[in-house]
Amino acid sequence: MTKTIDQSERELLFTRLYMEAFPATAKFVSRTGGSLEDARDAFQEALLVFYEDVMLGDYQVEVSDKPYLLGIARNIYLKKKRRNKIDNSLEEVEVVDLQEDEISTGKLLNFLQETSQRCMELLQSFYYEKLTMASLADRFGFRSERSATVQKYKCLEKVRNRVKEKSISYEDFLA
Amino acid sequence: MRTSLHEIEKIEQYLLKRGNPEEHLLMEAKMQLDSELADQVALQKQTYKVIVSYGRQQLRQEIQSIDRKVFRLPVYASFRSSILSIFKKS
Repeated sequence: MTKTIDQSERELLFTRLYMEAFPATAKFVSRTGGSLEDARDAFQEALLVFYEDVMLGDYQVEVSDKPYLLGIARNIYLKKKRRNKIDNSLEEVEVVDLQEDEISTGKLLNFLQETSQRCMELLQSFYYEKLTMASLADRFGFRSERSATVQKYKCLEKVRNRVKEKSISYEDFLA
Repeated sequence: MRTSLHEIEKIEQYLLKRGNPEEHLLMEAKMQLDSELADQVALQKQTYKVIVSYGRQQLRQEIQSIDRKVFRLPVYASFRSSILSIFKKS
């Protein structure tokens, strides 16, 4: 089951997890020769994965949060360490391609944030956070689930058109 | 709802596998015949991916601000110094 919480509850959860699980992550990273920055990067990414698995996904944590989160953080850190080694021996071209892809996604997201922020918030609440229609109606102040549903499809249409617009202009740009 | 919104709803049911098997097959057959519809379906699929990326980016920003908070605010000074001591030893 998806457990939906709002931003202030998330802030409390993430702060608690920092206090409980970051010290162990830091010790592990330090022991294997990593820096504080490495530990912070890995832990942030681990919180994201943890949140998607446990809060947005179906994953039921059998053990307590802490060892599970620590396990994810370790894996992320070790993977990154290995990847850095590989990247150093890769041809530059491949690395550049990946960066360009990330940049164009980032550009599109910025564009959508500027032009359709409310729609993007509404859509991500449903398709990413997986809020029920009832909680979505409540969060965005719709009188009924029905009107929230209609608005959701209107937003989807609007954003779909914007995505189309942008993908065409990117093609022109590349051509 | 407008016709165009009904169409979006139908595509959604197909993409998120919410419709029944008959509707699913019908949609696939329609897409074979109507390349414009097939394009719409592909575009909508891409739009869902973009929405998930957006949600993830928002969450990432929230996490970053928590990280900044615990490494900057005076309230977390003892936490911070215990972390810094871990890296001093190495």
